[in-house]
Amino acid sequence: MIVVEDIHVTFGRGTPLEKHALRGVDLTIPEGQFVTVIGSNGAGKSTFLGSLAGDVLAEQGRIAIDGTDVTRWDTPRRAGLVARVFQDPMAGSCATLTIEENMALAAARGRRRGLAPALGGDRRKGFRDRIAALGLGLENRLHDRMGLLSGGQRQAVSLLMATLAGSKILLLDEHTAALDPATADFVLDLTRRIVRDNRLTTLMVTHSMRQALDYGDRTLMLHEGRVVLDVAGEERAGLDVPHLLALFAKQRGGAEISDDSLLIG
Amino acid sequence: MTEIALFGAIEIGLVYALVAIGVYLSFRILDFPDLTVDGSFPLGAAVCAVLLIAGVNPWLASLAAALAGAAAGLVTATLNVRFKILHLLASILTMIALFSVNLRVMGRPNVALLMQDTVLTPFYGLGIPDHIVRPLVVGVIVAAVVLLLARFLGSEFGLAMRATGVNARMARAQGVDTDAHVYAGIALSNALTGLAGALFAQTNGFADVTTGIGTIVVGLAAVIVGETVLPARALALALIGCVAGSILYRLAVQLALSADAIGLQASDLNLVTAVLVAVALILPRLKAKASRSTKAAR
Repeated sequence: MIVVEDIHVTFGRGTPLEKHALRGVDLTIPEGQFVTVIGSNGAGKSTFLGSLAGDVLAEQGRIAIDGTDVTRWDTPRRAGLVARVFQDPMAGSCATLTIEENMALAAARGRRRGLAPALGGDRRKGFRDRIAALGLGLENRLHDRMGLLSGGQRQAVSLLMATLAGSKILLLDEHTAALDPATADFVLDLTRRIVRDNRLTTLMVTHSMRQALDYGDRTLMLHEGRVVLDVAGEERAGLDVPHLLALFAKQRGGAEISDDSLLIG
Repeated sequence: MTEIALFGAIEIGLVYALVAIGVYLSFRILDFPDLTVDGSFPLGAAVCAVLLIAGVNPWLASLAAALAGAAAGLVTATLNVRFKILHLLASILTMIALFSVNLRVMGRPNVALLMQDTVLTPFYGLGIPDHIVRPLVVGVIVAAVVLLLARFLGSEFGLAMRATGVNARMARAQGVDTDAHVYAGIALSNALTGLAGALFAQTNGFADVTTGIGTIVVGLAAVIVGETVLPARALALALIGCVAGSILYRLAVQLALSADAIGLQASDLNLVTAVLVAVALILPRLKAKASRSTKAAR
């Protein structure tokens, strides 16, 4: 479970480029919920995900994961609780390390790393079985460098890596945005399967309203650093993309009226 | 080339193989261009020589030299990680500071080791000529370092260190404390260099503040030659490549210097080395450019 209380993030405070990226986000995400997050550019989606992962520390407010206050924890410390897949397929793995070395790195997430061989014992066999389940034929390429894989394959392996250490929270930052449509569909289906099989609490940022409604069981819309729409259950089931667009426009209007600076700007 | 010159080249190549491995750790594995070695090599030599004169056990003196090197590395890493000074500049600051430190350690610009026992002493009386004993002993030490380091880099900690150099953002997302791994890696790199300095002092019988000049370039040259003759992906092979590269580099230098026709003097060494490294760095780029333009032509 993730509890977020009134978090604020400002970039470049005191400079002409000051940006108040998050302006008080309040949110409770129950265990096992799959939340999709949409919003226009600069709405604060990535900052919000970053603040959950620890890349961005909130200057105000509180973040608790499974009852532990992690507000001041940095990224490596939170990694035992939170797994991530990045938008750029290159970002989520080490190109010059082999597939099995990347998997070994992910499998040790949240543990102390000692001097035991990273690929000792029956580790390799375990990795082979896990990667075979992807159905991509990668089980025979464990010794290949990660950089030899296609973007879709890398994202698939990144998703698998996210499940190796047993973290219960998965953050997906537009992880299919850099892929062609067919590959994106494959990775999204894989995402759905992995989230279901591991009962992960998931936040998926997407720029596609279609995806936001088709996947998961709750949708958030961010605008100007605030949550302006939060739908789940039947209300969400009845929504279609045009509805969502209309709501988006309306919420934006509402948000603008409640924010003087925007009216002046 | 005489037999003595040949074994001399192998011996000095093996001593600098430890520098090459250290440079491989910083430049290649951590992607941290670290020039501290120019200071930590003579530091190792100085610490070892002074301790030997004080009557300390040679193995302990060598260990102390490695620890002194590690400390120098930690200074550079702290300047970079903690105080955000550019890695190159941080290492240059440490290197410059070490010149004074080394003078302080020795109390004068150079120290001769004449009658002192060294790690080599027990092996001199075995009936093997001295000029062969030295490369043998150093070779065994280098082999032990390669074995231990290959194992270390294959461990969970070592793997995290490699990930830190390849993709720090990913490493952090996988729970790797990247700062800690930079500290550890740069310390280890300079510990090996300090050990090389200690072996240099013991095989050559002196420590001198000026021996550090150009250490980084020699180390880089060895790494690059090694990568050229042994283009290996496997880590253990890459480390062996560093050793082979260091020996080959010394043999090439020895050949060039002993061939009177070329007209090179010993003092031309740094110029030759710098040119060699520059050419080795430029060649792959030119090659890539050539293959790009042929592709474009097609």
